Amino acid sequence: MPMTFKGKLHWWYLWRYLFPTLLYHGAALVVTGIFVLPLVWMLANSLRQPGLPPPLTVEWWPTPLAWANYWEIFQIVPLAGYIRSSVWVGVWGVVITGVTASWTGFAMAQLPPASRRWLVSLAVLLMMAPSSALWLARFVIFKQLGLLDSYGALIAPSIMGTSASFVLLFYWTFRRVPLELFESARLDGAGAFHSWWALGLPLARPTLVAVGVLTFMHYWSDFIDPLLYLKSESRYTLAIGLRILQQLDLTNWPLLMAGAAVMTMPVVVSYLFVQRFAWMEGRLAGLVR
Amino acid sequence: MLLPFFVGAVLLVVLPMFLTVGLAFTDYDALSLPSWRGVQNFVDIMRRDLFQIAVRNSLIYVGLAVPLRLLGALALALFLNGRRRGLYLYRTAVYLPTVIPTIAYALIWLWIYNPIYGPLNHLLGALGLPEPLWLVNSQTALLSIVLMATFQIGEGFVILLAGLQDVPHDYYDAAAVDGGGQWTMFRHITLPLLMPWLVLLTIRDLIASAQQSFAPAYLMTGGGPYYATLFLPLLVFEEAFDRFRFGHASAMMVVMFIGMGLLLYLLYRTVGGWGYADDV
Repeated sequence: MPMTFKGKLHWWYLWRYLFPTLLYHGAALVVTGIFVLPLVWMLANSLRQPGLPPPLTVEWWPTPLAWANYWEIFQIVPLAGYIRSSVWVGVWGVVITGVTASWTGFAMAQLPPASRRWLVSLAVLLMMAPSSALWLARFVIFKQLGLLDSYGALIAPSIMGTSASFVLLFYWTFRRVPLELFESARLDGAGAFHSWWALGLPLARPTLVAVGVLTFMHYWSDFIDPLLYLKSESRYTLAIGLRILQQLDLTNWPLLMAGAAVMTMPVVVSYLFVQRFAWMEGRLAGLVR
Repeated sequence: MLLPFFVGAVLLVVLPMFLTVGLAFTDYDALSLPSWRGVQNFVDIMRRDLFQIAVRNSLIYVGLAVPLRLLGALALALFLNGRRRGLYLYRTAVYLPTVIPTIAYALIWLWIYNPIYGPLNHLLGALGLPEPLWLVNSQTALLSIVLMATFQIGEGFVILLAGLQDVPHDYYDAAAVDGGGQWTMFRHITLPLLMPWLVLLTIRDLIASAQQSFAPAYLMTGGGPYYATLFLPLLVFEEAFDRFRFGHASAMMVVMFIGMGLLLYLLYRTVGGWGYADDV
């Protein structure tokens, strides 16, 4: 409510409140605008008519809008197949992660405090392990297990809940549930797996959804694992597909940006959808990726 | 119930760690059995020019990217902290680049950095600023890769934002009563209380930079021009998966992590602990 004095804006209201507020929002818009810029440029360029001479000034909105670019990229490379691979890997990753991460979190929440603390530190240490340190040795191990060039190599991390941060998310969710609830279920003769399925999971539904979406985003975005462990073109995921698109036609920017948009937009939309959880996870993964 | 987690942790993290160290002392091409070479691998890689270049580039990358990303996240967290209207939207926007998949992010920036047609140089030109050659010039290529990494700071931003919101309001009130100005409050209240988070973020960024620099170098510059963006992870990758010299690659990996350990130790000594100072 603007403070008015006999119908006019009071000068001190302007000075003390309105100007600083406007200044703040102006600055915030500029700063955060920069962070959105890459996405804007990607989308704008993806709709540019290919074959036209490249732009010589900043082009915010191309004319005419070439929606056909998005159709075109599916013709140049088997993009539909790549997407199918990515979705397949993602879905299996989500299903297995949902089970293993919630099992681990569920079990952790019911352990005595000392073992809990020990497991939490273990999880944090696991997240600290830099993934590049594992490239070579995982390659050798997958080779021995006959998992090279199969989706198994890509999905493998889901055995341990994909990322220890997902395990911790479940752990924190289950810790908020009073222990007596599970205790009484046990006295009623329910086994650990039964009380996980019948009591735990329904209580953890929001966490389950969020971890599911985040897990899918993880496998969908993963570039390095498929690069290292896949050989057959028929199994390539979308990340590798984009790399192939890049190698085919490095200078056809509108098509490359359309490819990047096909890969990015689902992730951006899901991020907006599970933002609060993404932040919580980011807080964890951030500490400790 | 804990079994899958432990099996995964042993098979996918613990075992690979030991295996990498073990392979560093052998000659292994992923086909025949490894044969023992002792420390010869380490002697060999130390003599390689490319290894020295990669070590130098990686050190420069860490030296620039880690502090810049930390300062960026801190500045944004301080700026977007509070209870104003619309803050939620701004915070969402700041996090956006962080969720863009690696390869898409690299392709987008390859376009942005295009020296002739890219939007960045058009924008700089329109503002009357110089238009660098970005990735094409060996002087600016590494800086360009650092610059694009400074926009993916959503995680650090969120952590520091949470840290700021945990600072009890009474502290500021008390300081205001004592006549402390904005800077005094920041220096003596905010900063000490954020210190554990800042140290934690630095550690994690140090570790993360090991793989952070791989994708842009691999996808955008191939390590060039003139090896200006040849980072250790890229060299390790090429050594192992193009030339199948797993022994050499593992030895480089081990050197990289010893170096990282030393940097962490240096950080520990500089800060004097892990940031839990008592003099709040």
